[in-house]
Amino acid sequence: MKVKIKKTNGRSNLTIQSKLIFVFIFTSIVIFIVNLFVYVNLNQMISKIEEIYASNVNLNDLTEALSDVQVSMTDYLNTKSSDAIEQYYRSEQDYANLLNDLNVTTTNSDMKLMEKGIKNMSDTYLTITNETVQSKRGRNVEKYKNSYEEASTLFSYINTYIYSLNNEQFKYNSGNYEVLLSSMRYSEVISLSILLAVALCNTMIIILMTRSITNPLKELAKIANEVAGGRLDVELLKIKSNDEVGVVAKAFNKMILSIREYIEQIRVRMEMESAMKEKELMMATHLKDAQLKYLQAQINPHFLFNTLNAGAQLAMMEDAERTYVYIQNMADFFRYNVKKNNDSVTLREEVELIDSYIYILNVRFSGDIHFEKKINQELLDIKMPSMILQPIVENSVNYGIRNIDWEGLITLSVYEEKDKICVSIKDNGAGMTAEKIQQIMAKEVQQSETADHSNGVGLENVINRLQMFFNDEDIFTIQSEGENKGSEVIIRLPKSKKEVS
Amino acid sequence: MSIFSKIKSGLTISNKDKALTVLLIVMSTIMLIVTVFSLVYFRVQVTNLNTVENTEYSEYDRHYALITDDLEKSFWDSVYAGTKEEGDRSGAYVERLGKNLAVTYTKNELMDIAIDSHVDGIILEADESEETTQLIKRATENGIPVVTVLSDCANSDRKSYVGVSNYNLGGEYGKQIMKLLGEENQKILILMNVNTEDSAQNIIFTAIQETLEKAGADMSHIDIDTAAISDDGAFGAEESIRDIFMDSENLPDIMICLNELNTTSAYQAVVDYNKVGIINIIGYYSSDTILKAIDRNVIQATISVDTAQMGRYCVQALDEYIATGHVSEYFSVDISQITMENVNDYLTEEDADESKDKEN
Repeated sequence: MKVKIKKTNGRSNLTIQSKLIFVFIFTSIVIFIVNLFVYVNLNQMISKIEEIYASNVNLNDLTEALSDVQVSMTDYLNTKSSDAIEQYYRSEQDYANLLNDLNVTTTNSDMKLMEKGIKNMSDTYLTITNETVQSKRGRNVEKYKNSYEEASTLFSYINTYIYSLNNEQFKYNSGNYEVLLSSMRYSEVISLSILLAVALCNTMIIILMTRSITNPLKELAKIANEVAGGRLDVELLKIKSNDEVGVVAKAFNKMILSIREYIEQIRVRMEMESAMKEKELMMATHLKDAQLKYLQAQINPHFLFNTLNAGAQLAMMEDAERTYVYIQNMADFFRYNVKKNNDSVTLREEVELIDSYIYILNVRFSGDIHFEKKINQELLDIKMPSMILQPIVENSVNYGIRNIDWEGLITLSVYEEKDKICVSIKDNGAGMTAEKIQQIMAKEVQQSETADHSNGVGLENVINRLQMFFNDEDIFTIQSEGENKGSEVIIRLPKSKKEVS
Repeated sequence: MSIFSKIKSGLTISNKDKALTVLLIVMSTIMLIVTVFSLVYFRVQVTNLNTVENTEYSEYDRHYALITDDLEKSFWDSVYAGTKEEGDRSGAYVERLGKNLAVTYTKNELMDIAIDSHVDGIILEADESEETTQLIKRATENGIPVVTVLSDCANSDRKSYVGVSNYNLGGEYGKQIMKLLGEENQKILILMNVNTEDSAQNIIFTAIQETLEKAGADMSHIDIDTAAISDDGAFGAEESIRDIFMDSENLPDIMICLNELNTTSAYQAVVDYNKVGIINIIGYYSSDTILKAIDRNVIQATISVDTAQMGRYCVQALDEYIATGHVSEYFSVDISQITMENVNDYLTEEDADESKDKEN
């Protein structure tokens, strides 16, 4: 029984269903054939056993027919009735018919010889019985009596023969029966061993087939588990068959590939998005830069200073001394702004800038701003970032003393406190609430609130720069006792910075 | 399972499918082989059975019946073997009539059966009785030739007689007696068959006497007597012989037995009555029992008849008569003496074993 399996690319095209059906049908057919074989054998055996004793049955028939002949003849001799003679002829015919089946040749088989003996004796016997019947009819009393004696003797001989033959055959048949029984036992053993072998082979085939089905499933499950655990870089499944599992495996492989592809796409998109954001930021920065450049380009400092210098000379020529000083201070103020924007400066320069700023403001506001300096001149050489004090003073002017009913006063003090140089800018203006101070220190005050009126540098900026320059969070403090009670900004510069310069 | 994992591990994945197919084919082949092998084995068994059932037999041209007194089994078995051997050669089957029958018939009844069975020839151990003569006549009337064997029915229509010359037989007995004779008075007892009315026993008796006289034995010291042994009925002979031994006054010195049965019975009686060495037995025929008795010196001598030759002659006589219508009236069968000196020639170990098997 060869099994042909169509192949494409070295894989079987059988589906699991057809595999299972094949295994089932194959094993069933084999078992069926074996069973058929066993049953045929058993049937043969049984019919043989039936055959065995058939010869005995035949001989029994023969005996019966013979007795019929003898009985009917005796009956006729006794009664001479037509019934009896009819019966005699019928039984004689029956017996003669049965005799035809017997062997007549001489052989070296004892049983065959006995058959021959029976046949020959029976022929003689029938001749004698016929003679007897004829004599009876002819009323030849002596003859039929003699013939009857003869017939009876022969009858007993024949009976003995048949009986003996029956015995012999029975003995012989019993022997055959024994042999048959033992061959039945053989048949049992053979059938059993065939069934066992077939069952064993079938089990193996089933194991093999189911293995070929379950192994790919196991592999699939293993890899699926790995994928479920997050390992997407697993090896792809090898597809060995085109059955249902093969289809699932293919789909699984496709799925893994698709997932990988999607992840790659998402990664690329995210990269692009972040690049775009960066670009946007860059653009914003560039915009600011451009704005700045634009502004700077508009105000050509040299042009401005030259113009202001020209104004100052003009004022001097016209003997307008106050105008001259004013313009001179203005020029100093802007020069400082342009020059020192990014560098560190000395405290002295910062203080000088405040002087110029206050002068300008007083010209602007008709001397409304009272400014006091309590400065220890020895401390003014300390280095610090530029544009620090001016925004603070501006703040004091704008929010502290501008809208008050009483005379405003700003006091700038520079003094020594332990190892720090303290710069204090104090006003007697509007003052601040503790919340406001808190907000300013936490840099929560919106830039927009201040930007409009200042030259662009807010307190937040000042605080940041100070903290970054000195790497000291507590360098800047604001004090106020409440609304309308004035406020004070104290900057505590570490002395060590002086030595650095 | 381990074989599979081994096979599996030895395979590359691409070969797995192929291996599966191969294994499938291998399994199928194994199943096929087992089935076919069993089938053949079973067929052989059934065929053996058939040969037992339909025992092979061959056909023969002629059917002869051997009718004997069945009591002397070993002797007639041997004769029958001789007839069969010769019959196989010439195409005649010899049946030992009455052997397979459930009823034990007398020789005369068997003669009737043989005649009514239309056999082609009859070999009869005859006697001189009128009944036998009549039966032989009836057989002849039915066209069946009769050959007598061992004992004759001289006045009948028998075609031929195959047997031992009784005169020679008597002579042989005489020679043996001479060897055993001593100075004292000797009483010799010849066991004769009471039923046989034939002259054969008389001839033997006369021949013994003549031989002794010729040999110059002192007849005045020798008392030759006969005892009639009845073989009527199953165990008559044995009882008759025992009767002789019971009569301790008149025990013979030499006992002469004229057939196998008497010899064996006498031998057993001598042993049973502790007369070994006192009563000398001269026996007849060379059955294993008798040969062993000679070997043990219980029986002094026995006359051996060439039984195979006897059987051969019977068949030859019938064949010849059927073929030609004529046959010699008398066939003489060879006889020989077996004594202590030559018993070993007959009593080989193989013989002993064979005879044992036969008895079993």
